[in-house]
Amino acid sequence: MAARWLTLAFLAFATPALAQPARDSLTIGITQYPATFHPNIESMAAKSYIAGFTRRPLTARDAAWDLTCLGCVTVPTLENGLAVREQTPDGKAGIRVTWELREGWAWGDGTPVTAEDMLFAWQAGRDFTTGFGGSEFYRRAYEAIVESPRRITLRFDQITFEYGASGDWVPLPAHIERARWEAEPRTYRTRSAYETEPTNPALWNGPYRVTATAPGSGVTLERNAHWSGPAPAFRRINIRTIENTAALEAQLLAGQLDMVAGELGLPLEQVTALERRARGRFRFEYKPGLVYEHLDLMLDNPILADRRVRQALILATDRAQIVARLYEGRQPVAHTTVNPLDGMHDDAVRQWPFDAARASALLTEAGWTPGPDGIRRNAAGERLTLELMTTAGNRSREQVQQVIQGMWRQAGIEARIRNEPPRVFFGETVSRRRFTGAALFAWISSPENVPRSTLHSDEIPTAERNWSGQNYPGFRNAEMDALLAALPIELDRERRRALWHRLQAIYAEELPAIPLWFRSDAHVWPLWLEGVRPTGHLTPSSNWVEQWRVAR
Amino acid sequence: MRLRFGLLLLGLLAAGGIAAPWIAAWLGLDPFAPDLFNRFAPSSATNPLGTDDLGRDVLLRLLEGARVSLAVGVATAVAATVIGTGIGLLAAWRGGVVDAVLMRLADGMLALPALPVLVVLAAADTGRIGLPRGEAASDIIRIVAILSVFGWVGVARLSRAAALSVLARDYVRAARALGASELRVLLRHVLPNIAGPIAIAAALTVAGAILAESTLSFLGLGIAPPAASWGNMLANAQDLVFSAPWVAVWPGLAILMAVAGCTLVADGLRR
Amino acid sequence: MIRLLAGRLVQIAVTLALLSFAMFLLIGLMPGDPIDLALAGDPRLTAEDAARLRALHGLDQPLLTRYLAWAAALLRGEFGYSRLFAQPVAQIIGPALVSTLVLLGAAVAVSALIGLSLGALSAMRPRFAPFADAIAILGQSAPSFWLGILLIIVFAVTLGWLPAGGAAEEGGWEALRFLVLPVATLAMANLAAYARHSAAELTQVLRAPWITAARARGVAEMRLLLRHAAPNAAVPVLQVAALDAGSLVGGALITETLFARPGMGKLIYDAVMGNDTNLALVALLLVALVTMLATLAADLGQRALDPRLA
Repeated sequence: MAARWLTLAFLAFATPALAQPARDSLTIGITQYPATFHPNIESMAAKSYIAGFTRRPLTARDAAWDLTCLGCVTVPTLENGLAVREQTPDGKAGIRVTWELREGWAWGDGTPVTAEDMLFAWQAGRDFTTGFGGSEFYRRAYEAIVESPRRITLRFDQITFEYGASGDWVPLPAHIERARWEAEPRTYRTRSAYETEPTNPALWNGPYRVTATAPGSGVTLERNAHWSGPAPAFRRINIRTIENTAALEAQLLAGQLDMVAGELGLPLEQVTALERRARGRFRFEYKPGLVYEHLDLMLDNPILADRRVRQALILATDRAQIVARLYEGRQPVAHTTVNPLDGMHDDAVRQWPFDAARASALLTEAGWTPGPDGIRRNAAGERLTLELMTTAGNRSREQVQQVIQGMWRQAGIEARIRNEPPRVFFGETVSRRRFTGAALFAWISSPENVPRSTLHSDEIPTAERNWSGQNYPGFRNAEMDALLAALPIELDRERRRALWHRLQAIYAEELPAIPLWFRSDAHVWPLWLEGVRPTGHLTPSSNWVEQWRVAR
Repeated sequence: MRLRFGLLLLGLLAAGGIAAPWIAAWLGLDPFAPDLFNRFAPSSATNPLGTDDLGRDVLLRLLEGARVSLAVGVATAVAATVIGTGIGLLAAWRGGVVDAVLMRLADGMLALPALPVLVVLAAADTGRIGLPRGEAASDIIRIVAILSVFGWVGVARLSRAAALSVLARDYVRAARALGASELRVLLRHVLPNIAGPIAIAAALTVAGAILAESTLSFLGLGIAPPAASWGNMLANAQDLVFSAPWVAVWPGLAILMAVAGCTLVADGLRR
Repeated sequence: MIRLLAGRLVQIAVTLALLSFAMFLLIGLMPGDPIDLALAGDPRLTAEDAARLRALHGLDQPLLTRYLAWAAALLRGEFGYSRLFAQPVAQIIGPALVSTLVLLGAAVAVSALIGLSLGALSAMRPRFAPFADAIAILGQSAPSFWLGILLIIVFAVTLGWLPAGGAAEEGGWEALRFLVLPVATLAMANLAAYARHSAAELTQVLRAPWITAARARGVAEMRLLLRHAAPNAAVPVLQVAALDAGSLVGGALITETLFARPGMGKLIYDAVMGNDTNLALVALLLVALVTMLATLAADLGQRALDPRLA
């Protein structure tokens, strides 16, 4: 039986692909459907992927991770005079930053994108009844000045090194949305045209616009007639949501999908297996990214409060072996939260190897000696037992978790696996610090993202703080706190680098979490598609769709 | 014939499950220890059915899975049968309003789309009611409890119908006339005489529970690893079904055998 | 009859009310409200943001207050907004319901047709009975997602005859092709019941004296089956359809997930998992209502066909 299915599966690649029509459309499979199309309500990967085709921000990080202009003319800097230091009205050190919008940039109905659209976005974001997600940017940007139809200035009450980045502050079509918002900001989120008529061309200012939506299953994009940049290659792009990854692969193999987006596509291990069988049929690219897989350790647990135990845990975990065997070496092992591709990464940071002998020595030193069943015990006779948690139903993490359990057992540490559905795990257990041992999950960050919310002692979630903050381990380190405060406001790149290096040294020594690896996005493209450049960070490759070409 | 074939199938699976530790010792393999150097090995002398995504022996995990899956099936059937028979007897014996309320409840449950409700129940947090979260034993208890919520209905309807006809018989009247207590009548005279239909319903409940466990596993709400159940083995294998189909084929066949076995037993009892 | 109908409708209403309360409680008691999840996902959200967003969504109210408000709105015909799709619930449910009903309708038709044929075959030709039985038992014993994956591997990936999933862009022949595999997956599980009930019923009917008489008159076997025996077999078919309505919806959840078809099953699952209380409850209640009405219709049909039951 098994052998027969195997042969059948192999046969699949012997049958010639169906005759292809002229390639003026591209069908892309992704695993998520956006909860909303509104630029500022909820951030999720599916929305930013589709937004890459249909909307443009002022600035973004490019494939080389440098800040670049998409909707603006030049990135504002102190050097080019578009950013100017000044005092805020209440005497603090502030900065004023001016962005000039690209000429010819227009909404899909032909209306130009102007400073008014940016002003409206700022006003809506600053009115906290509107219900936008993060409000920090708008809290800091206390004044907006429209200088001309294509120039807008914001004044900030704090200078950070990322002052030139416009972040989530993107143009909103004021000629469509302003009236809806002004009618009642509280209910604007359900009356916005992005929700009620997402196919209205006036909402989109990218090379494509949304022409049809099928909630939960797909979105159709067609060329935006008023796009003034280089014309994109495809007349139409179909984006299909298929959450079940086995079904996603089946549709790819059946020829119903041209490609699977790496940003939200197949798990890496599934793609490496696919590549072994279908190398001649698709092109594969693995792009290491900013998704940081790690084990958060509960530092309130007396066992884990001992640094030697934390160091022994990382020494007992053969991360290189897991990466080599499960992911064919396609994901870089992490040493701290900082990605090796990040400009601020310290190549000389302490790198813990797999070393069972040293792990054993450290544990013995910490008072944990081998017991009769192979599990270590302390002087009081307590077993060295830790809870190892992750999200139930995430097969990839459950797999890693079981491997780690096996490795720790070799070192005399018992890991008891206890998994919960994501909404319980993230919504309560982790975010309210109710785990007692190790929690396996990932952080998504951006280049040079200061990890304040995960490492500063003020960010330990408590009931008083409404459980905000993400320092789930409960890490307290005065020097780290000082670094996290100094980093964002240090404008000199080299001096900032020194701070970053110190941060990584502390992290690698103290191990508030055990770094595992940075996840890689696995992209699957048809052989005839060229020019897709994965970025590895939160700005997806779709933001450069003009460069996608059909190979001749 | 059917009964015997069904019992044979189930017996084989149960024997395999019981013998799992000895077979593991004999093969010298640990069904729970990952071996990263031996992933997706095809069948061989050491691994008769090959290995899974973590290099664990598929045969041994199938046998371990038999323990969990059959336990879920049998425990659900026992729970559902006890509750269902109790309710069925109560309804038949008391009649009137009690009967009407209980049977309307049963009708209502039967007409509900069970799976979506099961999904809500399965996603609910057992930690809130004091059960430990996420451990294998509590997973089994949780799933059995959830499946019993719907499982009792079929048993209750069948046992009520059977009990009604028995209660009308002469020997029950005679027993009552001789002064037997109501409890004695129900336990000594009615229950033994409705055992047949109840056994059929129980066999079908086992089958339904095994299938339902695999469905919940497919949705990521079943028994959590590293414990093995046929459902979670099958669900785990689906991502790599195109590159390592055998990992998915065996647990699927095991479920097929178990469910077919139960159906045959029920059929056999019916004749 | 009217009395019966009225009684059943009252029962349906009571069931729905109880169900809505139980589900609201269960979903509401699940940890991780939407704001908790947003907090875990977005490092920029501050303590003030959390309080602000919670108040905005009315999540700072006690559960019972929220239920009463929700139920009152529902009775006024306001279904509310889906959090997951940021659209009015009614707007999302409409197309999903149509898609699911098409899928289920086709599956019931196919499984009844094949099941009845198998039943008739084993009733008319007893030596084929074990064969028909085996198909029926295998069909109902295979886990449906496993069967679905096998069908996809064979017919979509290997042979390339049929799409592996998704929904057709345009109607007509193309739309039918998209239905084949999901319908086959669903129908397999259900044909057993039809085969069994019709075989049992037909075997009995074929032994009846008036059939023997007809046979003696020289009526052709086929005509005998279609004209005389088949109407009698319709009763058990309706009975099966009535009993299976609930489990079919469960099957739809699996097939819709596996074949990436939009529909009610998947919608309910996504809504429960994504903490979209409004959508989950309305969809669940609607599905329950439809199934209960289907059950009722099948019951009534059965009574109309079979005077003994009336």
